[in-house]
Parts: sequence; structure tokens; C-alpha cells
Amino acid sequence: MSKKLWTMLVLLIAPMLVLGACTGNDDSSGPADLTKFPLVVDNEGEAIEGGTLKVALGTDTPFQGIFSWVLYEDSYDADIMGYASNVIFETDGEFLVNDQGIASLEVDQANNKAIVKIREGIKWSDGQALKIEDLIQPYLIIGHPDYEGVRYDGDFQNIIGAVDYHNGKADTISGLKKVDDTTLEISFTKLSPAIFSIGDGLWGYAEPSHIMKGIPVGKLLESDAVRKNPVTLGAFKFDKIVPGESIQFARNEHYWKGAAKLDGVIVKVVPTSSIAKAIETGKYDMTAGSLPATTYPEVRDFENITILAQPELSYSYLGFKLGKYDTTTGISTMDPQAKMADVKLRQAMGYALDIEQVNEVYYYGLRSRANSLIPPVFESYYDETLEGYTYNVDKANEILDEAGYVDTDGDDLRETPKGEKLEIKMASMAGDPIAEEMTTFYMQNWADVGLNVVLSTGRLIEFNSYYDKVQSDDPEIDIFMAAWSTGTNPSPAGLYGKESAFNFSRYTTPKLDELIAAIDSKKAFDIDYRANAFHEWQLYMEKNAPVIPTQFRTAIYTINDRVKHYDVNLETDFDLNQIELTAEEPIK
Amino acid sequence: MSEQLVNTKSQNEYAMSSPPSGFQVIIREFKKDKLAMFSLVGLFVTLLAIFIVANFIDQDQLMKVSPRDKFAEPGEKFFFGADQGGRSISGQLILGARNSITIAFFVTLITGFIGIAVGLITGYFGGWIDNIFMRIIDFFITIPSLMIIIVLVTMIPKYTVTEFIFIMSTFLWVGTARLVRSKSLTESRRDYVNASKTMGTRDTTIIFKEIMPNLSSILIVEMTLNFAGNVGLETGLSYLGFGLPPSVPSLGTLVSYANNPLILEEKWWVWLPASLLILFLMLAINYVGQAIRRSADAKQRLG
Amino acid sequence: MIPQLLILSLLIFIMAKQMPGDPFTGLITPESDANRIEELREEAGFYDPWYVQYANWIIGVAQGDFGKSYTYKVPVADLIGERAMNTLWLSLLSVVLLYLIAIPLGVLAGRYQDTLVDKSIVLYSFVSYAIPTFVLGLIFLFLFGYQLGWFPTAGTVDIKYEESTKAYIWSKIYHMLLPAITYAVLGTTGVIQYLRSEIIDSKSMDYVRTARSKGIPIRKVYSKHIFRNSLLPIAAFFGFTITGLLGGSIFIESIFGYPGMGQLFMQSISSRDYSVITALVLLFGFLTLLGSLLSDIIMSIVDPRIRID
Repeated sequence: MSKKLWTMLVLLIAPMLVLGACTGNDDSSGPADLTKFPLVVDNEGEAIEGGTLKVALGTDTPFQGIFSWVLYEDSYDADIMGYASNVIFETDGEFLVNDQGIASLEVDQANNKAIVKIREGIKWSDGQALKIEDLIQPYLIIGHPDYEGVRYDGDFQNIIGAVDYHNGKADTISGLKKVDDTTLEISFTKLSPAIFSIGDGLWGYAEPSHIMKGIPVGKLLESDAVRKNPVTLGAFKFDKIVPGESIQFARNEHYWKGAAKLDGVIVKVVPTSSIAKAIETGKYDMTAGSLPATTYPEVRDFENITILAQPELSYSYLGFKLGKYDTTTGISTMDPQAKMADVKLRQAMGYALDIEQVNEVYYYGLRSRANSLIPPVFESYYDETLEGYTYNVDKANEILDEAGYVDTDGDDLRETPKGEKLEIKMASMAGDPIAEEMTTFYMQNWADVGLNVVLSTGRLIEFNSYYDKVQSDDPEIDIFMAAWSTGTNPSPAGLYGKESAFNFSRYTTPKLDELIAAIDSKKAFDIDYRANAFHEWQLYMEKNAPVIPTQFRTAIYTINDRVKHYDVNLETDFDLNQIELTAEEPIK
Repeated sequence: MSEQLVNTKSQNEYAMSSPPSGFQVIIREFKKDKLAMFSLVGLFVTLLAIFIVANFIDQDQLMKVSPRDKFAEPGEKFFFGADQGGRSISGQLILGARNSITIAFFVTLITGFIGIAVGLITGYFGGWIDNIFMRIIDFFITIPSLMIIIVLVTMIPKYTVTEFIFIMSTFLWVGTARLVRSKSLTESRRDYVNASKTMGTRDTTIIFKEIMPNLSSILIVEMTLNFAGNVGLETGLSYLGFGLPPSVPSLGTLVSYANNPLILEEKWWVWLPASLLILFLMLAINYVGQAIRRSADAKQRLG
Repeated sequence: MIPQLLILSLLIFIMAKQMPGDPFTGLITPESDANRIEELREEAGFYDPWYVQYANWIIGVAQGDFGKSYTYKVPVADLIGERAMNTLWLSLLSVVLLYLIAIPLGVLAGRYQDTLVDKSIVLYSFVSYAIPTFVLGLIFLFLFGYQLGWFPTAGTVDIKYEESTKAYIWSKIYHMLLPAITYAVLGTTGVIQYLRSEIIDSKSMDYVRTARSKGIPIRKVYSKHIFRNSLLPIAAFFGFTITGLLGGSIFIESIFGYPGMGQLFMQSISSRDYSVITALVLLFGFLTLLGSLLSDIIMSIVDPRIRID
């Protein structure tokens, strides 16, 4: 038996060694130096004629295949549609609409109106001209009584006449007015600076009315116009779709910036467990969307790629449950008796976390300690002077001692100022490959300052249950760790307002309402005023710590060496039609 | 799924086996079969070592995360290296083996108990009792158990080793019950049972004192094979993310780390020792089981 | 059969409803509106009592309407239909490969009982039983798929081929090969063990002794008598093997990125797509029943003493 077991061992290990030898065992787990990641890559070599770009879509589930900007829900569908986009506005580095796109935007603040003008001579991929009706069409779909998507929201109802149309009282939306063949006028109930980042109900995509008109809204989801052969304004058009697994794009000859140099693009689903291998062996040129930060150690030593990095529009945070949301009135109220009601306790918990170590060891520096609830990408609003809650055990201990949280029964755990046992229940989400280690580590951090933190259900909670529990103010949750992606409009109204169901900490004060209102007020059309309002809000949130920002994130992209030029910079006007390849197949 | 195959298979195989021939046959069988002997001794020593050493390990201390020791290589600070959380693999291996074996043991015990009881009773009484239980058993066979287990696990909020054992047991008694029923059905028609009946012996006495001993060798083999199968059971569920809670070390969790390609390729010390331990346990148990089976079956006997 | 499926469906329906979260929890983003999500829940009938929901659903099922997938927004029947074919073809190919590997090995092991050949085969069958599917799956994928490039690495077909051409069908089979091989290599335990002991048992049977005493060469005895007799019960096994493979698809499909029913099930669980979960469990239950029925039929053909009641 022992002899055979050895044979078996060899059989098992041999393939490992083969594989290991190919990747190299270099384990220099030092953090990545963010400055070494470029935003742009230029590869040597003569460009070939045409060629097909191969893109890997890293996911363990098939994409849904809803190729419509008004209907899609799956971010993978959005990644795919990026190659055949119907976007009409272009934005600058701060996500404000500029005049480089198909349409330009003019805002009439006095009358709460937006005037959208489109360029002349723009064509859909089927050769039809872009009309102003194509800009109205998406509004008519979203507002329709039969519409099944999520985009009929509070913002959308800001358009005058949208509610009547949705309730079937009107045949069309009265706030939309075709002025002439290239001009659309939209009337809103109120306007805020968010209109410049395509907020307040303004819609950023066109829909081909010559096709969509003939399809009842209730049937749209199943229609071929959405599933099989959507028409686009983008650099590429849908050529062939194998549902759930791959898509072939062909060059759109009618693209308004000029036909693409590539013949086409192929996007294919690749399971996340083998995506690094796929990149290494030159099966693909790049990934659709970014790679998860935890994949970085797998790809960093590959010689056939360049890694580009770009800051993400998101932050992770630690939230404290401080009240309840009343679903009937739609208003959050604070509970002064909440376990986490003491601001000192919250602050101490922030200082006690060694997030720096987690970022360095597990995220290779691709995540950094956040000091604010506004990601630094929003340069004019982000307040870099905020200190944030950096790791400081002494300070945490000091604050807790001062606030009266001391250990009275000698079990190394602090009791409340009233002398009661303190057990803090934390909800933490499963999913991230290191979620478990990270959560355990944070709980140890808190134990180090004498705080007894336990997991809410005894284990990590998977996505659906997690948000279900957090949103319904489950009494089993005192604190929670989560993340928000801010979108292009950083206004905190949707996440921290009194009336927002997503204000998960349920922290609300008159002062906070005032600060948030100022950010979206009319006065805030003045950029300095708005920036200042943002600064004050950030400062207030830091001082009161209803949520403590923990991490800013950086997204990484891998680009194969045969791609001549690629650019993830938000400010430059790099476009897909410029992509060129230098070889027939991706380089291994 | 392969478990189902093995069970069904053993069921058919025993159809030919004769009544047991005592403990001596088993000893003789082991003496003849060096592999089985080696397995038995190896198994005994390993289990003993695991259960003794496990008492000296503090689980809370062991499961403490220290990021800087992430994937420490074997040798330096940790005998078998460390996992992603900088936790010692050797320690987890011992505690994990203890947990996995305990789980397998209890699952085998519970399913064995239910399965044998149901099988004996239905087989002995026949008639409507048999009918009802066979309906229930048929129903359980229809159930795609892996799917239902996954649904159950997402449903139960506080989920510990105990719940895990009970969920597993719910679906695994059926195979044993089926096998025992078919045996007890033929056994109950034998003359000695009829004789006992006419003498007025109580049914329970006949079932548990007379029929059961006659089936004991088959029951032992069935239980050994079940045990071997159950050791590997938890692994699959851990891979799918429906295993034990993170703070509980288990062999399944260690092996499922291999799902991360980086670990599979470069950090072999995280998952390979646990895999080999499972492999060893299953092989050893199976070889021991085979030897016992042979001693129960004159045709396959070696000596 | 129908009552069994009914109970199963009721059970799974209630259980699925008990799972925390619902298909709309996944839509939470700062840009979505909590009121709109609430509205969608109401439209989907989420606040009806469970028995009303179940009644609505089961009446639909009786008419062949499994409802609509909440995530994919297409009728469940269409969604499953697409993938069921993938899984069925994969299972079929796996079974063929499995028997191709297992039968010769089982016969060899039985014939040369207790020799080195037998011992190695038994060891292999145990080892393959002990290796977790995903470990071998990943190793095969990396080695044969990526490193050596012998097989495609994801999906069911190459996009460049036109549907229903020869190249298209070949491409489909080509995509199935590696997952099927993994399946087959790991699933042989039962068949090998079974065949082996059948053959060992047959050796001492009267008909074999008679044949031998008549002077029929040993090779012929094996090929004509023993092999045939041992193979019949294996055939009876067939139904179970197929259903077993369907269960195993959950692992294989997620590793090889093969869009089939197993993968769909895992995804429906995490997105709480109740209508799909229930339909899939029901379908698997149905297939299991069908499998055991198939086994019974084969059994009654090969052995007339067994009759189905």
C-alpha cells in the first residue's frame, strides 16, 4: 500500500509541478506601487490590417443577454454593451457633460429646463438617421405602465408629466418637447447640479424609435430587437450571439467618429477560476470590465500583458445601526438607546481597525485607507485634508476609557458605562475570496481594544440575505461592513438622506439634512458653493461617524501586448474605433 | 452520486453472501491480507493521534488571523505552512480531521440507526407497514438531495456542526433502509423466525435479538462503506460554499482552497495534505471494509 | 409518480420562499429607487400568501407554464430548455466514456483477482472516488485546456461556425470532451466495483464450471458466458448512472464554464430566482424517477422474474 500511495502522490503532484513551473514561484508579496501602473499603454510593432479583439468576460454565471440600456440589470450586460453603446453624451474627467458627444446639453436654470441638441448626420448601425424621436423613445419606454425595469424611479418622476404617463392618464410625457429636428427640450419639476452628470431624470442613451415603436413595451424584454439583433450607435454592432456564452461584434460602418480599424470583437464568458490562466496563455487580449483586486497576484508576473489601473467610483465602509426606517412614512428615525448611539464608541471602533495591514497584505495596495465618503476621483468635491480614522490602538483605548467603557469584571472585555456586558453584532458579507480572513482579523482588532464583536448569524452572510437583513434593520445587526458604488453623481442624498431607504445606518439630524440639501440646491450651480457644501458634509460625517469609510478601491485591467494602444483614462477621448492590433493572435 | 452507486452495488453483492461465520474468520482474513492489516493499524494509529493531539490545540488561538503570515511556506514558522489567513495548516489539519471524522461518525450512526430500524421493521412485518415506508423511501429517492441540502443551508440562519449532521442524515438513511429491508424480508421468511413466532416470542425480540444478529456482518460492511463516503461528503459542500462556518477548521475547507487557481498551482501545502489525508482515510476504511466483507462471503475469502 | 412530484414541488416551493432575500434584493444600488423595487415586488405577487402563490404556480405548471425567470426575464421553460439540452448531451457523452473506461477495467480486475492488475484497478477506483471533482477538473482544465491547448476552455460551441453545419456539431462535441472525460474518470468507482465482484461470483457458478468441464477455452468462457451475465445488471444500473451524472453537473459545469442546468441551479440559488429553482428541482426529481423506471424496465427485460407492479 505504501508504495502505491507514493505512486499516487507522484501522480497527483506531477501536474502541479508542471503548472507551477510555467508560472514561476516568485512570491514577493509586497504591495503594488500604485504609481507604477499606467493609465495608458503603447505597444511596439506595426499594426495589422483589421483583426479581431478577443475579450474575456470573467463570470461564473452566463450573462443575461438583455442588450438595452433601459432594461438591463446585469452589469455583465452593461460591459458587453460597452462595445455597441447608445450613449449620446460624453463627459469629462469629473463626469460632467461636455460637448464632444453626439448630443450637447444646455441647462436653463431659471425655468428648470434642459435643452439637448444632437449633431446632424449621425446614423444607426442599420443606416437609419438618428432622429430626435430616438431621444424621446427611452423616456416613453421607462415611463410606460407596462415597463418592468428598475429605472422608473424618483429621479425619473422629476420630469414633468412622467407620473401621469406612468399612471395611464396621458398618452405621452408632457415635459418632453421636440423643438426642431435636432433639438429636444425637457422640463423638470426641480433642477440640481446633478443634471450636469446626467442626473435629475435626464437620460443618457438613445433608442432606435424606428424599431422600438412597433414593439409593445411589455414584450420588449423578449423581443429580438433587445435579445438578438439590437441596433446601435457605437463603434461595433452585434453580429452573432450564442446566448449566455459568447458574442461576436462586427465593425459599424456608420460609426459617427469613423469606422473602427478592427474587423470586430469577440466577447466570451470565462469562469473566474481560470481567468488568469486564460490571460497568461494568450487566449484573450483583455477583460470586459476590470479584474478583481484579489486576482492581481495571479497576473502580476505575466510577461505578455501590461497592467493598467484606474481609481474606482466606490468606497467600502463600516456602518453603525442607529435607528429604524419606517416603511410606511418612508422616513428614518434615530434611536437614542441604540447600542452604537455613543459617537465615542463609534470613533474608537474606527481607530481600532488595522485596515492598512489588510490593504497591504491582501489587496497589494490596490485598496487604500479611505478618509472620506467621496472617492478622490471627484477632484473638486473630495476633501483630502480629512484625517479619517487611521489605525491607532492607543487613541482607541483612550477614547473608550474616557467615554466610560471600561472592563469592570476582569474578562479583558469592556463593559458599557452602565456596567453592562457589551456584545456588538456585526454583519459581514460573503463573496470576496478573503472576506472570511478579513472579517476575523477585524474582530481580532476590536478584541485587542477590549470590544467583544461577534458575527450576526455566526457566519458570513451571502449577498441577498445580507442586504435583506441590513435594509430591514434586523435587530441582530449592530454594525455592518459594506460598500457603495457612487455612480457618476456623488450627491449623498440617495444614500444618507432622511427619506432614503438606503440610508442603512438610519442616522439623521436636521443639520445633516441641511448639509445635504445645500449640495443639491440651486445655489450649488455655482461650482465653488457646491464644492464647499461637499466639504462641510464630509467633515460632519467624519466627526459624527455614523459610517466610517474604510477603503478606496483601484480597478486593474490587463492588456495584451498585441494591442497597439489602449487608454483607461477618464479624461482623454480615446475611443474603441482607434484600437489596433500588431499580430494575428494574442501574444502568449 | 458515486456513493449511491456503491450502496446499490453492495446491496446486490450481499444478496449472495451467506450468514456470518464469527469473529475468528475476520481475524484470519486480516492476517491473510497485509493491505487490510496495514490499513487497520494505520487507521487506528492515525485516529488515535488526531484525537489525542487535538485536545492540546486551542481552536480560538489556531484560527487567529495574522495577515503577515499569509501563505507562509512549510518549515520556517509553521510545520506545514500557513493558509491565506496566516493560520497553521498542521493545526487545522488535526482539528479539521477530528471535526470531519466526528461528523462522518455521527452521520453514519444516525443514518445507520434509522436505516436499520426502518429496514428491519418493514422487512419483518411486510404488508401495509412495508407499503407505507416504501412509499416514503421512494419519495426520498426522487429528491435531488444535493439541491435540497443547498436550499436548506441557505435557509437556516444559525448553522453549526450539529445542524450540518442532521441535514446530512435526513437524506442518507434511505440507502441503508432499502438494503436492510431486502435482507430482512428474506430472513423473516426463514424457518427459525416462523418457529419463534409460533412459540409466541414478541416481535421486537425476534427482530432485534434474532434477525439482526444474523445480518450483522452485512450491517457492519454497510456502515463502514457509509463512513468512508461520509468522510468525503463535507468536501463537496465546502467547495460550493455551503460547508461549515469559517471559524470551524475542517478538511473540506482546506481542500476547497484549491478552487483558487493561485493556491492550486503554487501553494500546494494548503490543500494537498488535507486531500491526501482524506484519500488515506477513505482507502484505509475501504480496505478494512473489504476484508470484513470477504470474511462474510465465503466465495471471496482468501483463507 | 404525479403525487410524488406534487409533494416535492410543494416542499421545495415552501423552502425556497423561506430563503432570506428575494430576486429584487439584488437590484439594490444607489441609483435604484427603493420604492420602485417595492413596487416590482408587489407586481410579482410577493406579498400574496404562499399558498396563493403556490396555487398560481402549480396551475401554470399543469398547463406547461413554469412562470418567468426573475433574473433572465424569459419564460422558465425556454431558459431551462436551452440548458437542459446542453446538460443532457454532456451527460450522455460522459456515460459513454464512463462505460468505455469502467467495463474493461472491471472485467480485468475480476478476471485477474488479487493480482497486481486487480489491485491497481481497485486502488484507482478508490482514488477516483476520493478526489474531489473540482480539484481534478481544474487540473485537467489547466493542463489540457490552457497549457497544452488540446481542448477548448469554456462554453459549448465556437461562435464562428454557422448553426447545424457539420463543423458546428463537431465544435459542440469538442467543447464537451474535456468535462466529459473528467466526469468519466471520476465516476467509474461503482461500475468497476460492481462488475468486479459480479465476475468473481460468477467464477464459482455452476454454468461456468459446466462450460469449463466441457473443455471450452477460458477466454471463451469469459467473453461468452461470464461477461454477458455480469453485464446485464450493469445495464440495469444505467438509469441511476444518468441521474447521478445530472447531480454531478453542478460541479463540472461551473468549472468548465459550461452553461447547463447545474450551473443554472447554483445561479438561481444565489439570485433567489424561485421559479427557476422550483422548476429545476422538479425536473431533476422527474428525471430521477424516469431513471429508476428505466432501470426497472431494463431489469425486467433481462430478468423476466422481476416484474413492475
